[in-house]
Amino acid sequence: MTQLTMGMSRIEAAHLMGLVGQFLDVLDASAPGDSVDPAVQRLTPDAYPGDDDASADFRAMTQSDLLERRRGDARTVLSGLALSGADPDALTEENALDVVSLTLSMDDAGSWLRALAAIRLVLAERLGIVTEDDHDDDDPRFAIYDWLGFRLDSLIQEVDALSD
Amino acid sequence: MAGTAPDTTERADLADLASAPWQTVVWNDPVNLMSYVVHVFRTYFGYSTAEATKLMLAVHNDGHAVVAEGAREQMELHTQAMHDYGLWATVRRAE
Repeated sequence: MTQLTMGMSRIEAAHLMGLVGQFLDVLDASAPGDSVDPAVQRLTPDAYPGDDDASADFRAMTQSDLLERRRGDARTVLSGLALSGADPDALTEENALDVVSLTLSMDDAGSWLRALAAIRLVLAERLGIVTEDDHDDDDPRFAIYDWLGFRLDSLIQEVDALSD
Repeated sequence: MAGTAPDTTERADLADLASAPWQTVVWNDPVNLMSYVVHVFRTYFGYSTAEATKLMLAVHNDGHAVVAEGAREQMELHTQAMHDYGLWATVRRAE
């Protein structure tokens, strides 16, 4: 079975666990079929713009399963991070930059890609990113957004190299 | 043999229905990485890297691109799949 190995510092792993946990909170806070959180709406966009009835029908058919699959992706990321031994409670200044190793099946990697992409969408919604030029270098949340993008891009390269 | 002609007509109508012109459209957004969109088009539609890149650039430069065409149900499935990846996809009748 094809697997890929990914290295990540303990501090990165701790940050990622926190973000994924928050992502699960956002998903859990959304009432099925009636989400007013724009971040959750972004994860389940209108399939028929300009046709509210058709969009509502589509959402009724797909939204709850789709959000459940996002929860599954998030849980896969969390269990991978837990297995790596990157316990955030054991994080110290001394070991913060130590690298832990994660081994992912290709299915796991798919979950990681979807989860990282989805968390970026949620962050972008919270940060009010509407054009590619929206960036505030002084806001540390943008640094997290960029870092997630870097992680996502690296993982894409690894997955694509293995599936070529 | 009286039934032959109507049968043929009906079959033709069904064929038209099956190929009814609906589209799955993927829209540009400021968040998803170009490399990710290429990856999704490769993985889900089975495109080559060159084809997937061309389609991604069409989305990026033109604001949107038609990624599939066919029966409405099929286009809804593709749209749902694109949503699963976090891409902004919609269904529409072909113009």
